[in-house]
Amino acid sequence: MTTQVLTEVLQRVESLPRLPDSSLRLLKVLSEPNSTIAEIVESIRYDQTVTADLLRMCNSSHYGLSRQIASVDQAISLLGTAKVLQLVMAAHMQAMFSKPQEGYGLRPGALWIHSVAVALGCQIFAKQWGLAEVGLVFTAGLMHDIGKVVLNEYVASEYAEIARRVADEGISFLEGEQQVLGFTHPDIGAHIANQWGLPEPIVRCIRYHHEPESLSKPDPLVDVVHLADAVCLVLAIGGGDDGLLYRAHPAVMERHNVTEPNLENVGADIILELKSVQQDFNVN
Amino acid sequence: MSVVVDIADVKVSDDPGVTLITYSLGSCIGVALWDPEAKVGGLLHYMLPESSLSPQKAKKSPAMFCDTGIPKLFRAVYELGAVKKRLVVKIAGGSQLLDDNGTFNIGKRNYLSLRKIFWKNGVLIDAEDVGGSISRTVRLHVGTGVCILKTRGRETPL
Repeated sequence: MTTQVLTEVLQRVESLPRLPDSSLRLLKVLSEPNSTIAEIVESIRYDQTVTADLLRMCNSSHYGLSRQIASVDQAISLLGTAKVLQLVMAAHMQAMFSKPQEGYGLRPGALWIHSVAVALGCQIFAKQWGLAEVGLVFTAGLMHDIGKVVLNEYVASEYAEIARRVADEGISFLEGEQQVLGFTHPDIGAHIANQWGLPEPIVRCIRYHHEPESLSKPDPLVDVVHLADAVCLVLAIGGGDDGLLYRAHPAVMERHNVTEPNLENVGADIILELKSVQQDFNVN
Repeated sequence: MSVVVDIADVKVSDDPGVTLITYSLGSCIGVALWDPEAKVGGLLHYMLPESSLSPQKAKKSPAMFCDTGIPKLFRAVYELGAVKKRLVVKIAGGSQLLDDNGTFNIGKRNYLSLRKIFWKNGVLIDAEDVGGSISRTVRLHVGTGVCILKTRGRETPL
């Protein structure tokens, strides 16, 4: 049963729309801590859709800029690379994440909101911890649940059984996926990220975001994604029926000296920033 | 007509056709108030227990915190003619992650903070559904005061 389902799931992965080349180029450029603005501009300059989206968002009343932004260079120098990355990547993922993911009981758009919130959280933690890979973890955060997009319908058909085991045996939703389907949404997500040729650290963040302790050596990038996801799961930002049925790993907080007020502040910052991103994208 | 109450947000109404709805309460708590005589309803979705965490954020977004959001909610329904002693008070939320050893116990602290404020101000809770590891949606129909709790696709009156 499981092998057959896995074969089907992997076929679905094959048929997923791939990220446009310009996004992949942008991802790779932004994953390099030392990438220059010129390289970033170069990676999106020739993509009409991305450029148009970016300029439209920059010129929206939300930013209240006194002059019109007419080029990618101007957008980057006015808003900064982090903001441009947010806008461009979030726009790319919006179409894919905006369908309802009924298997997980997610409303239309909820997975996108959750993903953007985790990405914002990753950015905040990465800056606090002084990590160089801010762009990389933002992207990893944005894509950490990509496996849910494919696994959604299989979870829908097996949901009752997963929910029964979660309730009766006190296991997490992730362990339920593993027991009933034979694999989990991080497994499938890592497979998709691999297929798309995303940088290896991003694949690793996706694969281990619920199980940072399974790595033989702690990885601060995985820890960032795990903690940002934990904050968003606790606050149920864009949450589904799997709710808070995941395990927290306090060891991650301990090794980075993260305190509870620290987490609460990050949660508050995520919400304040998320509201501004939602304005940019005109979604609620 | 549905009016959505976002996370860290409060909405009130005296329009009998309005349903206030808040999705996805995890560790956050939803507080629904209804005055059966004035036919006024209010719904708050706060996320953190105490504004002392960041007075600056509390100023920007009072509905984010229990101790600034609850006064804001009560004041807003009073402005529409609600009276404290008539208010029906229902709450939901306060969930936590599995295996929580007190590191992520925002849900429990959110609940305790609310109990403290209600106790100090003599407010009684008429119905509550709190704790566990589920996410909850709450709807309050302003015309009738009917309050519906939705978890995992199932709806029950709160």
